[in-house]
Amino acid sequence: MPKAAGDAKLLIQSLSKAYAATPTNLKIIDLYVVFAVATAVVQVVYMGVVGSFPFNSFLSGVLSCIGTAVLAVCLRIQVNKDNKEFKDLAPERAFADFVLCNLVLHLVIMNFLG
Amino acid sequence: MAAPRLPVLFLLLALLVVACRGEASGEGPRGRKVLVLVDDLAVRSSHSAFFGSLQARGLDLEFRLADDPKLSLHRYGQYLYDGLVLFAPSTPRFGGSVDQNAVLEFIDAGHDMILAADSSASDLIRGIATECGVDFDEDPEAMVIDHINYASTEVEGDHTLIAGDDLIESDVILGSKKIDAPVLFRGIGHAANPSNSLVLKVLSASPSAYSANPKTKLASPPSLTGSAISLVSVMQARNNARVLISGSLDLFSNRFLKSSVKKAGSKLSHEKAGNEQFVTETSKWVFHERGHLKAVNVKHHKIGETNEPSMYRINDDLEYSVEIYEWSGTSWKPYVADDVQVQFYMMSPYVLKNMSTDKKGVYSSSFKVPDVYGVFQFKVEYQKLGYTGLSLAKQIPVRPYRHNEYERFITSAYPYYAASFSTMGAFFIFSIAYLYHK
Repeated sequence: MPKAAGDAKLLIQSLSKAYAATPTNLKIIDLYVVFAVATAVVQVVYMGVVGSFPFNSFLSGVLSCIGTAVLAVCLRIQVNKDNKEFKDLAPERAFADFVLCNLVLHLVIMNFLG
Repeated sequence: MAAPRLPVLFLLLALLVVACRGEASGEGPRGRKVLVLVDDLAVRSSHSAFFGSLQARGLDLEFRLADDPKLSLHRYGQYLYDGLVLFAPSTPRFGGSVDQNAVLEFIDAGHDMILAADSSASDLIRGIATECGVDFDEDPEAMVIDHINYASTEVEGDHTLIAGDDLIESDVILGSKKIDAPVLFRGIGHAANPSNSLVLKVLSASPSAYSANPKTKLASPPSLTGSAISLVSVMQARNNARVLISGSLDLFSNRFLKSSVKKAGSKLSHEKAGNEQFVTETSKWVFHERGHLKAVNVKHHKIGETNEPSMYRINDDLEYSVEIYEWSGTSWKPYVADDVQVQFYMMSPYVLKNMSTDKKGVYSSSFKVPDVYGVFQFKVEYQKLGYTGLSLAKQIPVRPYRHNEYERFITSAYPYYAASFSTMGAFFIFSIAYLYHK
């Protein structure tokens, strides 16, 4: 048991050391994703407590968070230097795509919210 | 000069007649003109007390022989009479244009009839009775015999003079005053057709009665026995036409109306038979002097408003009211009962509620429109024993909420609003941070 705990500790240490080497722009995206997912989880818990009455509001609230998170993950895939698949895609272009998608997402969310 | 004036005079006279008739029929539920068919004009004097009581109540009687060749119930598509008294049991065929179908059409047109038969009843009279849901004993010689509940007379007799006291319990048919003395009856029995739910036995025979030929010995068991035998029945058709059928013409006669009665085996002797009260009260019922309801002033509105909307919205609170009056013979009196119900109906009743009355004739009830939209009806279907049926229906559409009738902001949805806007804010901050970090 102490051995397993020690292994886990080692694993986390190596993970955080490796993550420290991640570029800052990717870290910002990660923070943003964590925020969106946390907000979504809070809303689901809230729905479980008060019931699903304004179901459209619940859906738009949760989907805005999930959608944001998905779009942010897509951006992260495209701007990651280590990812060879998108090496031809300029990071400016990727960010512009991300902004456009977000605008469309929030337009839909606003319409569905009330 | 005189020639052109004559038609004008006739026209004025005709107008006057029409105006008078209109006034008379506008007051009560039924007209007052009654045709009395007898097979012998002697009936007119032998039953004068009954006819006198009808005339005293304002009925206009016209006596005709049943085989009068000029007999007609209608002329130019208009019925000449509002009621019919058939005191012609033995007549085989009516005169003029009247036959069984004419009499039945007269009833189908919503008119009333009193029919009395006796042991000489013809097939014509039996046929009319059968069509009204009453089957007389088929044996032409049969009479109702009761060896226990007969009226005692000086001579022993054959016990066909029956002292009947098994009356229907209905204040509206028999009047509010109880008939104490037995009702004398001598005649034939009948049975109400079980498939006809409109016939009511008003005067039933006692369990010891049976229907047979009193002059011969009983060879086979009688077909009609006990309280299944009805002596007097009434029928109220679905169009509110009322028919009274009696197996005894003597029941209405002066002799029975005035005679004293003593039931066999009973010490109590009554000065007067119950016949007079019985025939007076039942004839009042038959000629719609009692138990005729009318409903007027159907109103409905939203609670807190007074004018009638053309449409309701789901979950509206509304109030429905109707005024119900009963004809008392002289005027319309408020009808008081606690069992009038209103339905809010679309294929099936969504709301079924008792209405409360203010004892002045106004019935009202308030309820919530169900959470279902469509074309509804306010319905009052009131069928009560002895009363004319009321059937009201008023159509009303119910719409769902309009788009802008929902709540704009819902308190319990505030976290979702907050989440959506915070995500948008986060997107803005993220964009700045992402673009300007270093």
